Amino acid sequence: MLINAYAKKVFNLAYQFSGSAQEAEDMTQEIFLKLYSSLRKYDFAKNFTAWLLTLSRNHLIDEYRRTKWERTQRDEFNNKVIAQDAFSGPERSIVREENKKLVWESLDRLSPEIRMTVILRDIHGQTYEEIAESLGLPVGTIKSRVNRGRLQLARVIKDRQGEWT
Amino acid sequence: MNDAHLEDLLSAYLEGELDESQSADVRRHLASCSDCRLLFESLKDAREALEGLPELEPSPALLRKLYAIPQKRRFRVVPEFLLRPSLQPVFAGATALLVFVSFLAFSSGGRAFQKSINRQLHVGYSKAEKLYAKAGSLTDEMGSYKQTILGSLKNIKLLKKGEEE
Repeated sequence: MLINAYAKKVFNLAYQFSGSAQEAEDMTQEIFLKLYSSLRKYDFAKNFTAWLLTLSRNHLIDEYRRTKWERTQRDEFNNKVIAQDAFSGPERSIVREENKKLVWESLDRLSPEIRMTVILRDIHGQTYEEIAESLGLPVGTIKSRVNRGRLQLARVIKDRQGEWT
Repeated sequence: MNDAHLEDLLSAYLEGELDESQSADVRRHLASCSDCRLLFESLKDAREALEGLPELEPSPALLRKLYAIPQKRRFRVVPEFLLRPSLQPVFAGATALLVFVSFLAFSSGGRAFQKSINRQLHVGYSKAEKLYAKAGSLTDEMGSYKQTILGSLKNIKLLKKGEEE
């Protein structure tokens, strides 16, 4: 069943991209509507997950461009599972949680294309080749986008650490 | 190696994708430049933070909506023009007519109603027949009156002629 297999993946992609659970729910429904109406166009020789990701990515970026002026801020970061790292002290755990919050809030600073690439690589753990296939771009472009996105987020963390010291 | 060139290589260095000589160049630069070292540490933190962002479970309400989509789509096999709101009164009238016809055809009350209609029709037909017969006899009577009147007129003419002679 498509929903059992892909609802969580699509919802989380939409949530990480948009930053709003409500918006992510709406977008997930729209993506599944599109999926059902496009199933006839699906080529069974191709990777279904990659095809669905392309469809989702296109919808999310198009919607973002269409509604970006109406958009509100990202949902407040709320990590439900704050597990303390077994190998480092509580201080390091606090820094890590602070970094997660900072990175979550800063994702909106990235352009939609770079944000999507960083999400697919670092949150969803896809390989550069998989992302290149699903987005229809050269691997070099994907690597460059991921590096630029990470650098932008790294500068936010660096600046914050500069404020603390 | 300048700072900009180093930045281009940081993700590849972090993921062990550089060849030995490039890696040695990056190591040397990081050892001598504290700002780039700090940026690299922040880049590692950013990547770690992204990997640690929690995944959300789709809400039961969203799943219910997603499961409802295929049923909605199945109804779309009806041609679009038949779903126009302007046709609703036509469908309502046709439905009422069908209900009435099936009531007449299949229910015992309907059969009694049918009989009474037949009886009424029969009574009406026999009344019409009687009226037609009455009209026929009236025509005959009118014919005989006509003959009488014509006969009388002839007699009057003959009498007048007799007086003149």
